[in-house]
Amino acid sequence: MLIFDQLRKDDPQLRTLTALVLGGITVLLAGLWYVQVISSKRFVDNQRAQAYRTVRVPAARGKILDRNGHAFADNNPNYRINLYLEELPRLFKEEWRRIKPARPLSREERLSLESVARFNVVSNLYTHLGQVIGQPIAMSFAEFSEHYNTQPALPLTLANHLTALQIARFQEQPTISPGLDLEVQPMRFYLYGTTAAHLLGYLRRDNQSREGEEADYDFRLPDYRGKIGIERAFDSTLCGRAGMKSVLVNNLGYRQSESAWIDSEPGTNVVLTIDLNIQRVAERGLQAALNYTRGAVVVMDCRDGDILALASAPAFDPNRFIPHISREDWEALSDPKMRPQINRAIQENYAPGSIFKIITAMACLESGLDPDRIQYNPGYIHVGRRRPIHDLAPPGDYDFKKAFIFSSNTYFISNGMYAGADRILELSRRLHLGETAGIPLPGQETTGILPKPGEAPIIWHEGDTANLCIGQGQVAVTPLQMAVMTAAIANGGSVLWPRLIDRLVPQDPFRVSQPWVFKKAQVRDHLGVSKRTLDLVRDAMRADVEERGTGKAAHIAGYTVCGKTGTAQVTDPTGKVTDHTTWFVSFAPYEDPKYAVVVMVESGASGGGTCAPIARQVFEALRQRDMATPTASGTPPLVKPVSAIVAKSTRSEG
Amino acid sequence: MIGALDQESRPRLDWPQIIAVLLLLAIGAAFIHSATSSNEVFTNRAWYRQPSLWHLIYGGLGLSIAGILCWIDYRQIARWAIVAYWGSILLLLAVFVMGKEVYGAKRWIGIGPAQVQPSEFAKIGFIFMMAHYLSRPLEELRQPRIFWRALGLMALPFVLILKEPDLGSALLLLPVCLGMLWAAGTPPRWILQLVGAAALIVSLILVDVLYAPPQWQFKLKDYQKRRLMVYFGIDFAANAPASERTRLRREQRAHSYNVEQALISVGSGGWFGKGWNQGQQITLGYLPRAVSHNDFIFSVIAEEKGFLGSVVVLSLYSVVLFTGIRTAAQSRDRLGRLLAVGVVTLIFSQVFINIGMNIRIMPVTGVPLPLLSSGGSSVLCSLIAAGLLQNIHLYRRNY
Repeated sequence: MLIFDQLRKDDPQLRTLTALVLGGITVLLAGLWYVQVISSKRFVDNQRAQAYRTVRVPAARGKILDRNGHAFADNNPNYRINLYLEELPRLFKEEWRRIKPARPLSREERLSLESVARFNVVSNLYTHLGQVIGQPIAMSFAEFSEHYNTQPALPLTLANHLTALQIARFQEQPTISPGLDLEVQPMRFYLYGTTAAHLLGYLRRDNQSREGEEADYDFRLPDYRGKIGIERAFDSTLCGRAGMKSVLVNNLGYRQSESAWIDSEPGTNVVLTIDLNIQRVAERGLQAALNYTRGAVVVMDCRDGDILALASAPAFDPNRFIPHISREDWEALSDPKMRPQINRAIQENYAPGSIFKIITAMACLESGLDPDRIQYNPGYIHVGRRRPIHDLAPPGDYDFKKAFIFSSNTYFISNGMYAGADRILELSRRLHLGETAGIPLPGQETTGILPKPGEAPIIWHEGDTANLCIGQGQVAVTPLQMAVMTAAIANGGSVLWPRLIDRLVPQDPFRVSQPWVFKKAQVRDHLGVSKRTLDLVRDAMRADVEERGTGKAAHIAGYTVCGKTGTAQVTDPTGKVTDHTTWFVSFAPYEDPKYAVVVMVESGASGGGTCAPIARQVFEALRQRDMATPTASGTPPLVKPVSAIVAKSTRSEG
Repeated sequence: MIGALDQESRPRLDWPQIIAVLLLLAIGAAFIHSATSSNEVFTNRAWYRQPSLWHLIYGGLGLSIAGILCWIDYRQIARWAIVAYWGSILLLLAVFVMGKEVYGAKRWIGIGPAQVQPSEFAKIGFIFMMAHYLSRPLEELRQPRIFWRALGLMALPFVLILKEPDLGSALLLLPVCLGMLWAAGTPPRWILQLVGAAALIVSLILVDVLYAPPQWQFKLKDYQKRRLMVYFGIDFAANAPASERTRLRREQRAHSYNVEQALISVGSGGWFGKGWNQGQQITLGYLPRAVSHNDFIFSVIAEEKGFLGSVVVLSLYSVVLFTGIRTAAQSRDRLGRLLAVGVVTLIFSQVFINIGMNIRIMPVTGVPLPLLSSGGSSVLCSLIAAGLLQNIHLYRRNY
């Protein structure tokens, strides 16, 4: 062969040369073998590492639905115009040539002029696009530089939330600039604005990875995290699983191509027990009650604990938090008197006032009070050495029912003190006052106030017992707790766990997994009072509405509403009365109790005057609801048939 | 008998070598196209100004010159050796007067629209001169006077090219000179001493440049020194004050950038490569676009055609080199033998240095890969050198 011929020949010089050349080529081959074959993987990785950027793509957030499938929170398509910077270097260069001065430039000057050139191009584009879509848009130099320096591979969003008209205008002129693209992104949208706002909560911008998720991304697309309400409580359920896409970038950081590595999984829908219509009626009633109502309405199904409405006023619009809340909006939300962020149905302690007499009444009846015994009420009562407690009920003879419907302080204090504070507190504990009612709204629920068994006696006077009998002093409750109480009286003594979440349903109807359903009618405790006592209290509550009592404003012809009004004094630390909290607790219908409705309004005129009419509106809506759907708790099956079919078909295929 | 003689005496071309040369030229054009097709500077140009096309045009021109040269016996051409040598020296001097400065170095002379790189032609002139000078009786070659004069012949263009500055091209003269002295029959002892002395000087310079305090250092251009530091993996910021450290580190990254990107190109090619025109290092611009089609063309081939492509390229060079050595062995006289050896060592040194710097076994120098790298002067001179080999092969027996 060619090489070995040379090596064999008797020509020492050329033999050496051949050997050298052969050796050299062998060295090169060995080197290439090492680089290209042995350590190839390392270089492929190097190349990937320098050329790929990973981007976190948030999943479409799960919906929040009412019990009938109406979406409180949905995702709207957000049409936006994106600018892909990799299409622009030629324009950048032209602009740079245009503004470049003739004199030679230092490196710093050149770099800063280049960034000015880039910004000129982009801001011209802004102006032009703004003219096309008929809406001025702009971006500051600092914002643009920030984007250009940190994530040139990601598109720059020029305009958000385009209307149909703007989309049409934009698409009529496709040649504004290279690199412009219309894109749709899911965007949280609360269809009914302020409706159930406290319950739903709101989102705040947060692009960080969730727990158990890939944490190492180069770029992140905007994402949101629930800060309060259901959005917070079920954030991990709603948010789904973020996907990952990879962007191939060139040495200038511009995007070359992109591909999805992991598709995002849409979040799971949360179905509430709330009935949209009832919720809206309750909120409208609250708003109409006063000029700037501060109050709450709770509607609960007495039989299974389902919360049909949980309203609080004033409310806010959670849409305002997306993409981020403005300073003015935030200041309005922080108003010290209105405090729109407070969920008054569960987040504030209120003195119950006269509605607490329901508990006092039960304690008295259980300890042997004869409801028919007549007692004279002089219009005031002395307890201990205190100044007399005024009775709003007119002086006269009172039996139990009359005392109840006129809410006589004299009657309930004298009999309550006879029954004793311990009995009243014992009953209150069975109702789990002083504890959270246990609905999944973290950070929102308060416990109320109730003296605990070991604590009370230390500085407990007779006057404290007297106050307790009429729901003042050492006791405070939330409207939700009162709803649980009312439901317990209506349903025959079962203290239920309120149920706010009906079930969790995968957004994709073809997912085989079954929806997670929360159990209904979870009994927390029993009142442990006799049927006779409950019947007497229910009768008295019916009479309060039906027989010209304080709650007559809640009367509905042909629908027997039972209720109790209350007006609690709000005192400052010196004991001076500064305000009133007005209440109306009720259930209906009397014959077959279904719903408990609790209305609370701060600074109302009176329980009967301010709150009872709201309850009436709610009951009317509930009555219509029952007439429309024969099954009282009528929940149409949402996904069960589909998942059952899918499950069956996959089985038959297998 | 007479027929056989006749057949022996008929001039015959060395076809395997010609085919290898043509293939290398074609591969060069193909991958220059690949290296420049995603580069805006080139894609904006008209089709007739594309480097890949010009590679073929220079190839055609070079082949014609080589063909013309083959009509004339190399012994007659060699009579002009002195003219060729001094002509190339004049060209090298002209660079200093009318050279075009690129990146701080004067290496080119503009002649009309074309640019000539005299150092390329100087290599050919030098080979001719050396072959001519060393074609003397063995006894004379044993005289130190001849040896020193031969070294002097090398020193002149060496210093001129070094001054451009173009260290890589200058250093190429060294192996060519040594190879030719060796093939001529200069006493091996002298050559060994020369190699030893050169190695000693080079290592002293290296140690001096890399480790000595600044005031004692041999004066090299900044970029030359940095290339050496990159090659030997020396931290730029080793002795720098803290304030300078980040700046120097950044500088180091910038300077080792070409080498690292070339290595990533070659390495990520794997067995079979990513396919012609599919190299990501080029399309994404990580491999610097200014060098990917000339000095670093091999990394483009290696990335797009993988280890197999590298083997093909090396095999083609082997064919050229070993047929060249056979030509030297079969040549009819010392002149032919020395010319062939000069050409073979020149091509071999360029291949070894260039591919070596792509896989980081050699420091980065501006040495083109013969027949593959884009660049008119380099292609012309490589083809003239190959034509010379054919010429020696053709006239090996002139009965």
